[in-house]
Amino acid sequence: MSETIIRLENIGVAFNAQLRVGSPRFWALEDVSLELARGERLGVVGRNGSGKSTLLRTIAGIITPDRGRLKRAPVSCQLLSLALGFMPHLSGRDNAVLSGLMLGLRRREIMQRLPAILEFSELGDFFDQPISSYSTGMTMRLGFSVAMQVEPDVLLIDEVLSVGDAEFQQKSGDALRERIHSGTTVVFVSHGDAQIHKVCDRAVWIEQGRSMMQGPVDAVLAAYHAAPPISPPPTGP
Amino acid sequence: MRLHLVELILFSTYAELRAERARSYLGLLWWIVEPAMNMGVYYLVFAVIFRIGGQDYIPFLLIGLTLWQWFKSCISHGGYSIWQQLPLIRQVKLPLQVFPSVQILADTVKFLCILAILLVALWSTGYPPNVAYVALLPVLLVELIFVSACTYVVAAVVPLVPDLRFVIEQVLQVIMFLSGIVFSLDGLPPALRRWFELNPIVELVDAGRGILMRGEWPDWFALGRVGLISLALYVFGSLLITRLTPRYVKLPT
Repeated sequence: MSETIIRLENIGVAFNAQLRVGSPRFWALEDVSLELARGERLGVVGRNGSGKSTLLRTIAGIITPDRGRLKRAPVSCQLLSLALGFMPHLSGRDNAVLSGLMLGLRRREIMQRLPAILEFSELGDFFDQPISSYSTGMTMRLGFSVAMQVEPDVLLIDEVLSVGDAEFQQKSGDALRERIHSGTTVVFVSHGDAQIHKVCDRAVWIEQGRSMMQGPVDAVLAAYHAAPPISPPPTGP
Repeated sequence: MRLHLVELILFSTYAELRAERARSYLGLLWWIVEPAMNMGVYYLVFAVIFRIGGQDYIPFLLIGLTLWQWFKSCISHGGYSIWQQLPLIRQVKLPLQVFPSVQILADTVKFLCILAILLVALWSTGYPPNVAYVALLPVLLVELIFVSACTYVVAAVVPLVPDLRFVIEQVLQVIMFLSGIVFSLDGLPPALRRWFELNPIVELVDAGRGILMRGEWPDWFALGRVGLISLALYVFGSLLITRLTPRYVKLPT
């Protein structure tokens, strides 16, 4: 068994439901426990609103749990975010630098990778035009190309496995699959059984903010589909 | 890690200024035209219509407004920066001091442009450069720390209480009138003026006017006191942002 790099023990995360004095808090995660080992590819399954995205952002360190224990080895965790911090009036090139800096790259590193970003995004002369002149697909191509330059120890993916038009979907999907299978530790949230099967070697099932089961992909998916949906719990204090 | 943040702040400032240029037809000209119009309004109302102040009123007003505008624009822009970036903050882990710092830097660049024009205007109207200009650097440095400190505190609180946005502009307006920006505080009884001088802006604007108009050295003791208070407030503001960061991501979208 390889080294555990992230361990969640009975984690709970509460949000403010409304900007009102005394408004009740809503527990997006009630009680989640899981372990992530180095090099592992963990799939997260669950229905809409079960807390999968909150779980990813908790693992990323963006959200601090309100209860439970979270232990993380000194590893970098990055949510795969496209077009992070993009500003419409700036050129594709400037946005690539800005987004790269926000994702934790040094400026020197981004400068070295600009040719690769330009090539992968297939933007050509548009690279030096303001992205407000881009189509949605072009912005996504740029966003994806920048995001792929970051190489965190743990890559966190929320549904997105490919972006853009059919051709770029193939290309971006291939690039991401290559990254996933290159030994990076991955946590992958998805609704698609087929994708979880293809990508992950273990899975965890989240239902109403609770971790119901974790283990081999087949067993977890079978249990998940066999269970009737649980009605939402009342919002606690 | 630290160097990476410096790079992020510097590049974001550049991006901010660039984007601002692209957002209007006159672009960078607005950096100068907008404060000039603002100064023109005050000049018209107070100097022309109400005939306040003596012969030195115009430089008095211009220096006061230039230093005040720096403070005000940092609060108005930087104070809302964390609140405006909440969607981004939910996506990536960053020290949130970055966002107000970018706005403070961008507004400081604009302030320096206006200051340069102000200096030329002063020189050409009979207020030549003098040896006390050396003291401008520490005065501006202390103001920068003070401005940053106030901006951090506002930026930390606004996301939790967005309603403050409706109050801040009015509060700033009151502070401006209480800080001797358009009216001289010299007419106040000395006992009352002592209270007014507890306001760091009064000290800083007084020091600026003394240097630029009369070649006077600032009151170093008072400047040092304002500097220390500002530094303490800056540390407090920064700690407050760090302390409150876990709460920002949990606010309703």
